[in-house]
Amino acid sequence: MSEVKMVLKIEELSPYSKHRFLILITASILISFVLVAISMALYNSSGAAQLDLSRPGYVSIRSQAVTNDNDFENYASTGAINQKAISEFKILYSKQATKTKAVDAFGGDPLNFASLGLELTTE
Amino acid sequence: MSKKLFVTCFLLACALGSIPLVKAFAQGTTLSDQQITLIKDNCVSSRNTLNQLHVSDALLRVNMGQVYESMSTKLMDKFNSRISYNSLSNSDLAAVSKDYVSTLDEFRLDYIAYEAQLSLALKIDCEKKPADFYDAISVAYKGRNLVHDDVLKLNQYIDKYQLALDKFEKDYQAIAEGSKK
Repeated sequence: MSEVKMVLKIEELSPYSKHRFLILITASILISFVLVAISMALYNSSGAAQLDLSRPGYVSIRSQAVTNDNDFENYASTGAINQKAISEFKILYSKQATKTKAVDAFGGDPLNFASLGLELTTE
Repeated sequence: MSKKLFVTCFLLACALGSIPLVKAFAQGTTLSDQQITLIKDNCVSSRNTLNQLHVSDALLRVNMGQVYESMSTKLMDKFNSRISYNSLSNSDLAAVSKDYVSTLDEFRLDYIAYEAQLSLALKIDCEKKPADFYDAISVAYKGRNLVHDDVLKLNQYIDKYQLALDKFEKDYQAIAEGSKK
């Protein structure tokens, strides 16, 4: 009985005891804010954001993204090395290399000031 | 003691005073009234072009990124592993693959920087801040060129791997013929 009274007295004395629930909620919200901030920072810095075509503004091109690269054959990493295996790989590699090099990615000059109609000369 | 204090305060004041000057030089481009008018007049059309480029480059990054990745993971790495599995020497092929992968990493990083800069340019109100808009496009232009340089390097490594592959084949044939004899 005396122990129960002591516990009650300690709780009455504690400044946080009356607001424990409020503190819990506030702390939970703050922690979730911090975790969201960290995950957003990682999302942006890791390059995931740049590959995420589900973002608003990318609706028009979303369907054009290649989701199935089955035509890009996976070469077996095990097995014997002989002339036949080398020739097979060379044909496969040559085919994919030609396809890859055919696209002049990020070429051209679309950010040129003249292309943007902002042909300027610095003073 | 007071002299020392005075000199220290003077140097500190000079250093702090030079900050705005450094900032002013760092901002770079000074535009004439005519140039500012040109940017303001073409503000909407240039922003539209940038928006389209932003979207089309994202698609290009996704699709070509996959292809460049597959060249490494589905072909180069697999063939190198197969050579190692058969206890054959593949130092040239491995070296080219390694360079290819590090260039691919550079490509990823350069694209992140370019995309961030282009996004920044798109956020700038070109009617209110034409000089900032001009500078942001200028930096994005350089960033895109860096990405293109990485693509060219990747293509070069693809060719180098092909050459290393030819050399490997010749070496293999020489060994095979030697063992026959």
